Amino acid sequence: MSETTIQAETRTEFGKGAARRIRRADRVPAVLYGHGTDPVHVSLPGHALMLALKNSNALLSIEVGSDQHLALPRQVQRDPIKGFIEHADLLLVRKGEKVSVEVPLHVTGEPAPGTLVVTEYNEITVEAEATNIPESVELSVEGLEAGTQILASELTLPAGSTLELDADTLVVNITLAPTAEEIDAELSEAEEEAGIEKDEATETSGDDAPATAEANAEAGEGDSSDDE
Amino acid sequence: MLIPRRVKHRKQHHPTRRGAAKGGTELAFGDFGIQAVEAHYVTNRQIESARIAMTRHIKRGGKVWINIYPDRPLTKKPAETRMGSGKGSPEWWIANVKPGRIMFELSGVTEPVAREAMRRAIHKLPMKCKFVSREGSEF
Repeated sequence: MSETTIQAETRTEFGKGAARRIRRADRVPAVLYGHGTDPVHVSLPGHALMLALKNSNALLSIEVGSDQHLALPRQVQRDPIKGFIEHADLLLVRKGEKVSVEVPLHVTGEPAPGTLVVTEYNEITVEAEATNIPESVELSVEGLEAGTQILASELTLPAGSTLELDADTLVVNITLAPTAEEIDAELSEAEEEAGIEKDEATETSGDDAPATAEANAEAGEGDSSDDE
Repeated sequence: MLIPRRVKHRKQHHPTRRGAAKGGTELAFGDFGIQAVEAHYVTNRQIESARIAMTRHIKRGGKVWINIYPDRPLTKKPAETRMGSGKGSPEWWIANVKPGRIMFELSGVTEPVAREAMRRAIHKLPMKCKFVSREGSEF
């Protein structure tokens, strides 16, 4: 994985007021730490950081003044709705150093008909060189039958990576999918229990009771005021 | 329908609707999800209705997760009742959903199918929501 160079500026003022001023200037407050050194508080350009962090384990080369540091994103805080980066924790690494990272698991292929693929772990923890972190772990479920269980030890990891999960951890489970009749029976029963009417004609059926209740309450209030 | 088996207090105050979700803002189980954009109380009927709409569309081959639980009772006084005389009786069970919260997750289907299933489910929910996917939400 190639490294992305980002120019950083050291921060001199701290707290939420200063952090908000930095964010208003399209920059992101961040902290660099690791190897027992004192943390370095920096601000990074927002757009460049966002592009660099499209890959979850991107290797960043941070230039602070005349110093250059290699870092990995350890924790990225984002706005829950808009998704912009609010703060980044960057872990200092060295070339050749082994780090523990979470790599996404990509399940490919179609299993046997009538089965369901249940992925227990969407990310696999592996140990790899900081400069050679795999982008993903591929797993093919092509033609697998129901009842097949794939354990962590059965994964094919990219060269240079070692597994950090327990070898007997269940990663992917192929189960029998419920039949259409079973689903229909379960949903009909659920609809009956909840008093939900079937079909598109009842798009707002879930809201009927509260709406009616509110209408009744309003009518009730009106009546009582009339009485008085 | 989702209903708590036992509660400590039968009648509670209304939960606050201010602020954004503190957790549960990222996909944890599935590949696609419904994220709340506004704060709202979601009743157990609405949750069930959304689940049924989603499951009916995906038929077999997908798995649905519900990440919210209606654990708060809301009370209501009967119609044409004068004020006073104590708090009304429990009427609804609600989940207090804040903006950013992933309410439903889905996996095992293609994106167009998931998108349509979730569009149908969103129609059953009281607030503005958006469709999120693991590919799109990753950094």
